[in-house]
Amino acid sequence: MNEDNSKEQVVVTVLGLNKPGILAGITKAIADSNVSIEDVSQKIMQGYFALMMITDLSTANCNFEEFHNRMQKAAKKLKVKIFIQHEEVFKVQHRI
Amino acid sequence: MYFSIDEVIDTIRAVGVETFDIRTITCGINLMSCADPDVNKCAKKVYEKVVTIAKDLVPTAKKLEKSYGIPIVNKRVSVTPVSFLASAFTKPTAVPIAKALDKAAKELGIDYIAGFSSLIHKGINKGDQILLDSISEALCTTDRVCSSVNVGSSKAGINMDGVLRMAQIVKDVSLKTADKNGLGCAKLVVFCNAVEDNPFVAGSFLGPGEPEAVLNVGISGPGVVRAALASSEDLDMGGLSDLIKKISFKITRTGDLIGREASQMMGIPFGIIDLSLAPTPAEGDSISDILELMGLESTGCHGTTAALAMLNDAVKKGGMMAATYAGGLSGAFIPLTEDSGMCKAVENNSLCIQKLEAMTCVCSVGLDMIAIPGDTSEDIIAGIIADEAAIGMINNKTTAARLIPVPGKKAGEYVDFGGLLGKGPIIDVERHSPAVFVRRGGRIPAPVHSMKN
Repeated sequence: MNEDNSKEQVVVTVLGLNKPGILAGITKAIADSNVSIEDVSQKIMQGYFALMMITDLSTANCNFEEFHNRMQKAAKKLKVKIFIQHEEVFKVQHRI
Repeated sequence: MYFSIDEVIDTIRAVGVETFDIRTITCGINLMSCADPDVNKCAKKVYEKVVTIAKDLVPTAKKLEKSYGIPIVNKRVSVTPVSFLASAFTKPTAVPIAKALDKAAKELGIDYIAGFSSLIHKGINKGDQILLDSISEALCTTDRVCSSVNVGSSKAGINMDGVLRMAQIVKDVSLKTADKNGLGCAKLVVFCNAVEDNPFVAGSFLGPGEPEAVLNVGISGPGVVRAALASSEDLDMGGLSDLIKKISFKITRTGDLIGREASQMMGIPFGIIDLSLAPTPAEGDSISDILELMGLESTGCHGTTAALAMLNDAVKKGGMMAATYAGGLSGAFIPLTEDSGMCKAVENNSLCIQKLEAMTCVCSVGLDMIAIPGDTSEDIIAGIIADEAAIGMINNKTTAARLIPVPGKKAGEYVDFGGLLGKGPIIDVERHSPAVFVRRGGRIPAPVHSMKN
């Protein structure tokens, strides 16, 4: 987990019906915000597409709020659901 | 090590499907510095202090909601029991303070502000008298102010004069808010062993042992527990308890995170996290549903008290390890109109007020949001309050009664209070009279603290 305090780690989760271009569309939006992707996992669950990325916002060209809005916009275009959450909430729920 | 996709989806599903949220962030504010013999001057100081200290409460909560993707349903304020201030008043009314609190709540954008309260378990002083005389008018002329009165404790016994007085006030508030089905009573709680750091309204106030300002957090989560129990048919009692403990750990740890972050952002110390499972009228967010998933045909049947005891204990065990500081009421709430499953159980005739009373022996916080027939006498209401207080007194726990006599309605009829207060059937009460007993006056002496059988 994040031991480096200079990082601002944010978990990006995408859920939706599988179709070509979801990963490409989402990662483009992330790159446009100059946010780096540190980890990616993806799977198909009962026909649904699930994508989870750990990103670092410390290099971003916008604040969290703006990043949140940009990603929501990208998700709307791709007709998928997106969740943008600081990693701390997963840490407290899944790690002791 | 990063998180697995399953872990991340587990958290997202809890919010999206299982109605997990943070029920409340409550900012406690000490009002002692506002003391003034002139009630109107005091009210002005109260308004100024509340809106200054809590000004960032709603923006902070909104920011945290977005940052972590967890809804924070209520933002609230609790204050020093207003009876403390009322002791100094030259004019015998505390209503202007209630109005100042109401105005402050509206300015802050919060739904409730609590602490129009008094502690009378040992006796009624001048400030208490002024407060008690002001409760009816205060609750009828404000929208967001909540009131609570402590009438008993394990150390002091039960002040039966206070119990009768509160029964009269409940009746009076009900009649004065008859046009809204007695809704004023939903904002009035009668306690035994009231706690100083409860974040949940209507019974919240900032006790005298608390700091200048403090943030207390209440979690929710019946929906999450219910979802986990839905696939638990093959578990024995140990397995069930273990499953509940794990969920309680997760939801409490999230509440703890929100509390710590809010504390840092607002520069106000983090007090406690209240480990209560608080239901809402939303479908699936029900304590009754959990009990039925544990294997009861309908809540209220024999076995209900045992199931609830296990649920409540497991929630505490899981939550205690997750909470930096646990406090408040900490236990499953079993309100009636706020829990659609409980209402169904009443409609099924499996749950009656006597069984609800028995259930309050093993959880918090007592007979909560119980709509009773409008013609229930003040003696019977006093009897119900005294019974509930006795359970708290003997068992060293907090109990309370939030009873709503619904004017003009009878048992079995339906009442809708709206929003989080919910709707449900009016429950019947036992009709034989306790009048002679409740009108004897004086105090029930404090109980012996050994020989506990």
